[in-house]
Amino acid sequence: MALSRRQFLQLSATSLGGALYAGCSFPAKELLVQSPVRLPEDLVTGLDNWYASGCGQCPAGCGVVVRVIEGRAKKLEGNPFHPVNGGKSCARGQAAVQAVYHPDRIQGPLRRTGERGSGRFAPISWDEGLNQLTGELQRLRGSGAADGAVLVTAPLRGHLGLVVQQFASAYGLQHLSYEPVEQTALRAAMKNLFGQDLLPEFDIARAAYVLSFGADPLGSWLSPVHYGRAYGEFRQGRAKRGTFVQVEPRFSTTTAGADEWVPVRPGTEGILALSLAQVIVAEKLGEQSVADALTGGAGARALEAFQPTRVAAETGVPAERIVALARAFAGNRPALAVGGGSAAAHTNGLFNLTAIYALNLLVGSAGKPGGLLFNPPPTLKGVPAAGVAAPFRAWQDLVGRLREGRGRPVSLLMVHAADPVYGLPGALQFGEAIGKVPLIVSFSSFMDDTAAMADLILPDHTFLESWGSDIPEPGPGHEAVTFQQPAVAPVFETRPFGDVLLTLAEEVGGAVQRALPWDTMQTLLREAAGLLQREQRGVVREAEFPVFWTKLLQRGGWWDELSKGPAPATRPVQLPQVAVAPRFAGDDEYHFLPFPSVSLGAGEGAHLPWLQATPDPLTTVTWQTWVELNPRTAHKLGLQEGDVVAVVSPHGEIEAPVYVYPAAREDTVAMPMGQGHRHSSRWSEGRGVNPAAILAPLLDEQTGALAWAATRVRLRPTGKRLRLPKIEGSVISIQRPGADVVEVTQAANLLDRPQAGQGTV
Amino acid sequence: MRPRLIILGLLVAVVALGGGAVVVFAAAQTLERIQQNAGPVQPVAFPHNLHAVALQLDCLFCHRNADQGDAATIPSVEQCMFCHVVAGKGLPEVEKVRSAWEQGQPINWVRVHRVPDHVRFVHEAHIRAGFDCVQCHGPVQNTDGKTRKVKIERSLQMGDCLACHRDPPATSARPAGSGSAPTDCTICHK
Repeated sequence: MALSRRQFLQLSATSLGGALYAGCSFPAKELLVQSPVRLPEDLVTGLDNWYASGCGQCPAGCGVVVRVIEGRAKKLEGNPFHPVNGGKSCARGQAAVQAVYHPDRIQGPLRRTGERGSGRFAPISWDEGLNQLTGELQRLRGSGAADGAVLVTAPLRGHLGLVVQQFASAYGLQHLSYEPVEQTALRAAMKNLFGQDLLPEFDIARAAYVLSFGADPLGSWLSPVHYGRAYGEFRQGRAKRGTFVQVEPRFSTTTAGADEWVPVRPGTEGILALSLAQVIVAEKLGEQSVADALTGGAGARALEAFQPTRVAAETGVPAERIVALARAFAGNRPALAVGGGSAAAHTNGLFNLTAIYALNLLVGSAGKPGGLLFNPPPTLKGVPAAGVAAPFRAWQDLVGRLREGRGRPVSLLMVHAADPVYGLPGALQFGEAIGKVPLIVSFSSFMDDTAAMADLILPDHTFLESWGSDIPEPGPGHEAVTFQQPAVAPVFETRPFGDVLLTLAEEVGGAVQRALPWDTMQTLLREAAGLLQREQRGVVREAEFPVFWTKLLQRGGWWDELSKGPAPATRPVQLPQVAVAPRFAGDDEYHFLPFPSVSLGAGEGAHLPWLQATPDPLTTVTWQTWVELNPRTAHKLGLQEGDVVAVVSPHGEIEAPVYVYPAAREDTVAMPMGQGHRHSSRWSEGRGVNPAAILAPLLDEQTGALAWAATRVRLRPTGKRLRLPKIEGSVISIQRPGADVVEVTQAANLLDRPQAGQGTV
Repeated sequence: MRPRLIILGLLVAVVALGGGAVVVFAAAQTLERIQQNAGPVQPVAFPHNLHAVALQLDCLFCHRNADQGDAATIPSVEQCMFCHVVAGKGLPEVEKVRSAWEQGQPINWVRVHRVPDHVRFVHEAHIRAGFDCVQCHGPVQNTDGKTRKVKIERSLQMGDCLACHRDPPATSARPAGSGSAPTDCTICHK
């Protein structure tokens, strides 16, 4: 019989359809409906509740809302009311829910059973653990050796900061705040130039021109979610689109969002800034009175040494470009200059930042919209609003005290939310130095390199299970207090650190107990809320306290947009007239530039698999540490992507696979921080390498801050190879012929193109 | 001619296989429905007749959310234990519930009533309209969990829903003929 084409197709389709239909059904488990074991009266299966709280994943202090279904935290989103992030969130915040239910969470108190540092522990009861710690605290204080106790925390703000401060001063112990990427130089610059103890709001949203030196506000610097929001306003939220120029040796996430990249030689950011100042003063583009004040009346002559032609070679920026930048910066008001990140991380870090931030004075941006908006002092007196960290020098002093027995020997070391054994430069050998301390107590929720050294672990809740407060820093330019409430009941046998300190205070008694008269953090917070209620202003205003408390928690905090910051103090500042050149460790060929990872930070996020799987915005690499090499550098060494290279500094060597990065200076080697943990979760232990291991312990003598961008390294191919786990190149992209959107080039061709550091890129 | 015959033969085979698959599938669905019509076997033989008739517990006492939201919901093990902490001790079915409670294990019931994922059925609206649970779910109160198990009474197909929506029967809140319920697509297919 003759089958027509149509009949054939119909028959095939039917039979195929039938076969497919047979194979498609829903999974059997969808046919189950569960009686949960327990269900509170007011809880309905499948319905959600949202609780406002404050994110604890990084120091920015965004407000969040947490979706809770049947008592489980399911999703974290930004709190739309919060002045810092306005409903937005970042990968690190989003991953917070994984911390609560993490399989490697420390579920209850532990006592060390193996060798110190072996990571072998056995569970004990809270009574046993607290008794041991209380006993030691009482013994030390009783024998007049209270300063033999050292407490290490993250830089704390809000009421936990208050409790720690009161405990430390009443007890007499030494309190050190550890910040993996310290903001010491930035704080010093703010103090010197503007008389400010709090970091200002960098008003990117209303600036016309932003000149950023070394800071990565769109990636990992200070408050990325806030700046990301501001950036959106900056670009599209108004009639005239702003211009963003990024000055840094490395092409970072912020550079990717900038209009121009100035690949300055590492450490010369201050010299470049002073050269811009010289042009502005010489061509009278800035505020005349300010120019006079900054140069001691001498005008451009005072800055002669920084004429563009004289600094072009040193900075690697052509003179014409410096002049053009200066004119554009001063000619587009409001103009904002920010500096931080690697620009601050040199031996001349404070010099660099002073020069950079002084540019704001020249263009009249200090204290003005579109410039630096200073934050008012906190509404609640005595509650820390600035998370000030101890500079690197303080850690060197502590190690000196431990090793050489300077001053009172350290008998007790307590550590909360800090991992200095991991993050401090390996050259300091911090882990080995604390090995001498008789009792080390960790309050960590997860095993890390510092917790592994502990004798006793009294694990803290995650922030989703805790009461707390925060005064965000940098603040939004007005008074704000975030309130953190538990979104879920504690999952394990952990206890909140604040409450533990309050209990210890009660046990130790005396002045310590009097300094901390609250039984729990919640009590303290209710008291604080009472004080805020009495203000009768701001976003929550109620006559009755119970209503105020409820509304406060629903909103996620209290803020008053009308309470602006102070006017900038007029300080007699003069610009440096002589350059302070950066010093480097060793004379090896390449500048070593570690940088905080957008997903892992400086290692705080490594235990969360969602963050490990979050691709780096520029290289798209996941789950691994890589080395960014300029194509010419790679070619010179005969290296391709995936080749494992040893990065060798005067203080050690680490190995990582190469990523050929077109936008890298030929003389720099960049590596993300965050991996290389020896003790961590199952997903982060023994993974990648830690750049801190090979950092030279160089300081900025003026501030004592670590110059982590001052190490020089050489490279040694190892002959090993591994395939980089990255998204880029994993999916074949085919462009429509005649509609090429992207020009695809091979890495080898890049050698023929102008390299970073040679003219404009 | 030969090649044609071969092609034809292959076609017939494919159609037969496909058709066979359809037949088998349909049979399986029917079997499932037959089983459903006898009610699926549940992990615990829960007797509605004892609880809803003899003890006069209201449907909403256990299926708490029916007048609040979309799903009627199944009560928690804890709720069973309100009474069964003492009641029915020693009875095999009751002991299943008590041991689930003691071991902290949930009870996984076999779902009887299910609409596909693209349908949104809201219990609350129907309770508000005055419907009694048995008008859709049949005489559930007569099931004993052993010989008479909870099963699907109405087909739960769209035609069945529409028939009622076009011409609603009398309820405790409204008499018959008081107007139709919404039949707009987006009411149920969000």
